[in-house]
Parts: sequence; structure tokens; C-alpha cells
Amino acid sequence: MPSIITILYFLIILIFLAFGAAIVFHLLYYKINRRVSGMMSLIYIIGAALLLISNFILFTQVSWNQIFGNFKL
Amino acid sequence: MFGEINFPGQRDDEKVILFLRRHWFIFFMRLLMVITSILGLILVYFFFNLLSNNFAQSDYYNLLLFGESLGTLFIWNLFFILWIDFYLDAWIVTNERIINISQKGFFNRDISELKLTKIQDVTSEIVGVVPTLLGYGNIYVQTAAEKERFTFFQIPNPNEVKNTIVQLQEKERRGEEIEMGQAIRGEL
Repeated sequence: MPSIITILYFLIILIFLAFGAAIVFHLLYYKINRRVSGMMSLIYIIGAALLLISNFILFTQVSWNQIFGNFKL
Repeated sequence: MFGEINFPGQRDDEKVILFLRRHWFIFFMRLLMVITSILGLILVYFFFNLLSNNFAQSDYYNLLLFGESLGTLFIWNLFFILWIDFYLDAWIVTNERIINISQKGFFNRDISELKLTKIQDVTSEIVGVVPTLLGYGNIYVQTAAEKERFTFFQIPNPNEVKNTIVQLQEKERRGEEIEMGQAIRGEL
């Protein structure tokens, strides 16, 4: 069961990263004001990296076997 | 004043007179979606903690934190998507033309321009209580061509912007007439 969870988790992260890449692309490619675009890209990347790291740590902290074991009838 | 502003097809001698975006209140209204999502996450956290006294010691506590963290990731993206939509929608009035940059979601961008001399009339409208109180509204620029109207949506101080466009248009038209007169007289 946990391997399915891991696959699902990485799928969700992949979707997040795809949106993230689109956001950074729009900020850097369609820049109207270079300073604002640069600043916002930096804020986005730093924030997203911190959130991703904390999310991955929390993912590893969840005892998936225990949780799915509790659901067994 | 607008030295930092860059837009496609910008000419060296072109001066940016006005740089407009939608009123901040429009962004704030969209931001309510993000604020509601954050409040939702906080409510879910407290709901499960109040449901059982020793929830923090159970196996599900880490699952809740993980879910909340995953939700935060997507709220982070949502905020930036809304901000990009607001930030990349712009109207630029230069001493020669009006440029309309419209961002519709991801990878969908319209850029149209209109020469000031082609303008026939400019109309501003403020409709509703909130727009009247906060001073934002629309501007419709009609051209001589059978093209659809050029519209500035929900911009701050539409009446002042309209007056500026009319003044610029008159100045540009006068300049063009003088140039044409000189050409006819053979001075050019």
C-alpha cells in the first residue's frame, strides 16, 4: 500500500511542479517590470522550496502502514 | 517615472505616459479565495483537534499535518497564479499609442495596440456602489475602424485617464496636421 501512496504523492508533487514551472516561466518571460518579476520569482522559488521540503518531511513522518492497518476489517 | 516598464515592440523614442492595471480591489476580491482556503485549513486543523483530546498523540495527527502542508503548497501556487493574472494584465498609454496587454490564464496572451490618431471617442464609466466609492471603472476607446472597442477594465480614476488620453490624442493629431501641412508646402 505505501508504494501506491508514494507514487500518488510524487504525482501530486509533479502537478505542483508543473504549475510552478509555468508560474516561473510567466514571471521571467513576460516581464513588464524586471525588478518586480525578479523579486516575485525569487519569493516564489524560495517559498515553494521550503514548502516542498517541509511537505516531504511530513510525508515521511506519516506512518502509512499503521493508518492503512487501522482500516482493515 | 516609468523607466522600469518594458513591453513588446517598445520604440526608443516612445515615452510611457500612463501605466495602468486593474484596481487593487479587484485583486483583493480574488485574494479572498486564497484567504478563504487558508481559513479552511485552520478550521480543519482545529476541528480535528477539538474532536478528540489526544488527537495530537494519534497516528492521524501527522496525516493531518501532511494534508495541511499539501493544501498550503497548492494555495501558494493559487496565490501566484492570481497575482500573475493581475500583474500581466496591463494598459500602457504612450505619447504615440495605447497598448493593451491581456493575460488569460497560462500561455494565453493578447497584445493589441491602437494609434492615438485613430481614436474617435473615449468614454469612461463607473457603475455600482463599490466602484463609485473606490473610484474605479471602465474606459471604452472607439476607433474609426469597424473593429471592436478598445476597453480598459476596472482601472483606477477612469475619468482622469480619459482626459489624459483625449489630451494626448489632440496633441498627436495637431502634430500630424502640422507635419502634413509642412509636407504639402514642401518644407519636409
